[in-house]
Amino acid sequence: MTLQFKPAETFRDTFTYRKSPEDILRFPFPFPEDEYMYSVNIEPHVRGGPTAAFRATFDIDEHYIAECRERERVLKEDPKRCQVLPHMMAAEWDTLELIMESMAADYPEHFSLAKAGDLWTWVNRPLGIQQSFTFGKVETLPCPPFEYITRQAQGDFTLQDQRDDNLYVDGGMVTTQADWSLEFDIGMSFHEWHGPVPLAHEKGVFDRALKYLLRLQYGQPVRRLNWTMTINPRLDTSPENYPVWGPDKASVTPENVAEKAHLRVELQTLFRLPRSGAILFGIRCYLTSVADIAKVPKWRRRLHRVLRDLHPDIASYKGLPRFRPMVLDYLAPLDDGAPTSKGIAPDTDVLGG
Amino acid sequence: MSDQGIKSRPSYQPIAPDPAGRHHLMVVDGAEVPPEALAEGVTPSAFEVWTVARRSAVPGVPMMEEAAGAVRTFRSTPHLFSALEERLARETMGLRFYAVGPEPFLWDAYGIGERAGLSRQEMGFAHVGPKARRIFCVHCREVMEKVTTSIVTCTGCGAALFVRDHFSRRLAAFMGVQIDAEVPGEVPAAEELYR
Amino acid sequence: MTAGEPLHVRVREIEELAPSLKRFSFEPAHGGQFPTPPAGGHVMLTLRDGARVMKNAYSLVTPPTERTRYDIIVRLVAQSRGGSSFLHRSVVPGDVLEMANPISLFSLAATARKHLLVGGGIGITPLLSFLPELKARGARFELHQLATGEEAPVFERLLAPYAAAEEIRVHSGGRAAFDLAGLLARQPLGTHLYVCGPHSLMDAVTGTAAGLGWPKGKIHKESFGGDVSGLPFRAVLKKSGIEVEVGETQSLLEAIEAAGVAAPCLCRGGACGECATPVIEGEADHRDDFLSAEEKASGKLIMTCVSRARGPRLVLDL
Repeated sequence: MTLQFKPAETFRDTFTYRKSPEDILRFPFPFPEDEYMYSVNIEPHVRGGPTAAFRATFDIDEHYIAECRERERVLKEDPKRCQVLPHMMAAEWDTLELIMESMAADYPEHFSLAKAGDLWTWVNRPLGIQQSFTFGKVETLPCPPFEYITRQAQGDFTLQDQRDDNLYVDGGMVTTQADWSLEFDIGMSFHEWHGPVPLAHEKGVFDRALKYLLRLQYGQPVRRLNWTMTINPRLDTSPENYPVWGPDKASVTPENVAEKAHLRVELQTLFRLPRSGAILFGIRCYLTSVADIAKVPKWRRRLHRVLRDLHPDIASYKGLPRFRPMVLDYLAPLDDGAPTSKGIAPDTDVLGG
Repeated sequence: MSDQGIKSRPSYQPIAPDPAGRHHLMVVDGAEVPPEALAEGVTPSAFEVWTVARRSAVPGVPMMEEAAGAVRTFRSTPHLFSALEERLARETMGLRFYAVGPEPFLWDAYGIGERAGLSRQEMGFAHVGPKARRIFCVHCREVMEKVTTSIVTCTGCGAALFVRDHFSRRLAAFMGVQIDAEVPGEVPAAEELYR
Repeated sequence: MTAGEPLHVRVREIEELAPSLKRFSFEPAHGGQFPTPPAGGHVMLTLRDGARVMKNAYSLVTPPTERTRYDIIVRLVAQSRGGSSFLHRSVVPGDVLEMANPISLFSLAATARKHLLVGGGIGITPLLSFLPELKARGARFELHQLATGEEAPVFERLLAPYAAAEEIRVHSGGRAAFDLAGLLARQPLGTHLYVCGPHSLMDAVTGTAAGLGWPKGKIHKESFGGDVSGLPFRAVLKKSGIEVEVGETQSLLEAIEAAGVAAPCLCRGGACGECATPVIEGEADHRDDFLSAEEKASGKLIMTCVSRARGPRLVLDL
């Protein structure tokens, strides 16, 4: 696969982010049916499936370099967007090992990892990095291992400690989140950090999800898709910076809604880690404008129907009310009512009108 | 904008000593154990009790008993917390730790217990007294005490903050988020909710 | 649940530690590396003795840095179902065996301020896998291994690389000479207890700890899992017109899939509801987290990925 990186893309201010046609078609569209409700939609994280985004353990795409640069900016402005509690050091090394080994195996043209005993050498060609270090010795890396490797991966990550029949979010690299604060939530239990989500609690979704994750086994990672909408292709929609991105939402007009409104999808992956017994939670973020979604006939029909019939509490929690009517007005004429197939695949190799 | 009824909000019950525990230490942000903090049929004599007198002239006690029924009095909350750290560092497995008082006191005590190695299974909390909240501004990290209204102006960055029910035990505070970030100036009237 | 494709391992070396204790060392049969062995982890070995197939779990004693070798220590059990006897008497270097990917249900607590490890006999094996990780973390720990007179020197030798000062002690005086209550009572706040050995030892240790006020979350016992295993039974798939035998260590879903029937499923862990299948006859042994108590009691549905039968036979509308 030949990836054309676009290193100078921006996810703020000028918003020069764009998706190539191939990039649009590999978008992990989150809706397998024409309506949406919360569920424990977990499946084994195996290579392959209805979207190319599932092909690797940690997906790399044409935005890789630009996203790493954006992450660097966020951390410079606010170092607390990456924190790990002191008792999670074993999980930090577990994470570094998992991500380095996976990326070197899935993208040998971009990454390589050589080991001589506990002396490792990591090469990241797109970012121009060559780093030798001693595995297990923090002082041999320029920053702690979890921060070191997640600065070179797309998407957010959290570390969850399993204890007392519960999971605790005891660390994270959180720069591309859909509106949650690591500084506030770090240390919380599973139900506590999910506290703000409406409806799902009554339906028992979190009780079942927690029980399932407590039994997550090493070597059997799982994944699910989550979604929301963002105005402009902005990765940093943190609560911290809400005063900065909040006005975006009020800037939507019927003329610009298709270009500005983006479907924001999280490919969430969960891995049990060997030394620590902790869970690594990957939250890989993908953004596609409504205009680009509309280039895939199945997706534009389905997105229209999902948004039209969405439960108002869910719409409210996902921050949609200000612009949902405008998105629906744009999509409605494009939905001819034709049946759509089950599953998330685009059902086409080319973009249409 | 409301998330009242959020599931992460701590819930409190009147305290009864955990029958599995070997020794029960209770700290109170007040001069004595309020009766409503204890479960039916439970008396303070089941616990070793530490109280706060808010007076400088608290006499020293020649021999400190560390047993159920003993009462030890401190000048202030910081005075109590400094002795607590030292005590927990000496303690052994089997201890149960309880805190009674307003919410920030409870979770400050929790932090000391957690750093000493106690887990939630070994601690119990009863919220007694004012319902005023400690608020953490998520935008600038300023902490404000004794907030009673649904909307408060941040003393750090000036933002009009909606006081959420989302609570951090680690920070012992509720989150404050700017209420008019999308359309600056659109601030609803504040309600007095937390007295 | 079985973890994906099994590993094929070649016996590299067999070392006799004592007349009834052998260490087996395995390497990947087709080259390459093993996954990092998880702390407290174990593997299921498939042992074929003629027509008889046994699947037994053994703790890995390999440190996490070792990727080309997996070691287990097996005690020859007099009344064993045959697994230890087969390993001791019939397996030789060069043999290739099927091994499931390692999993762990026995982890080191990250927030522990001190780790107290208590082992009895062959229960030392998961504790051996903890030691390199505890050393790597610079963690405070204490290990007490109870052993019979003749095995004590073997355990001392196995523990020697990790022993420093009084952190590790082997007790050969039997349980009576071991002051368990005194040991537990003097541990500082934040100590976690890990025990592995015969069931009577584990019950005694965990019971004493609980009695001294140790909370549940700080008492850990080794478990090899076996959530989906149970007595074999027959599943009749009415719509497909076939019958499948569900083996002891095989889930109902796996047996159905092995028979070529594409049964619905998603999470394969009893949480999502996708595999719910109507039960026409027979009683289900529910092990899922999806069905409500009422639904389980009514017995009309079964989650094929984790649940089993309470009797010899189930008839499903599949």
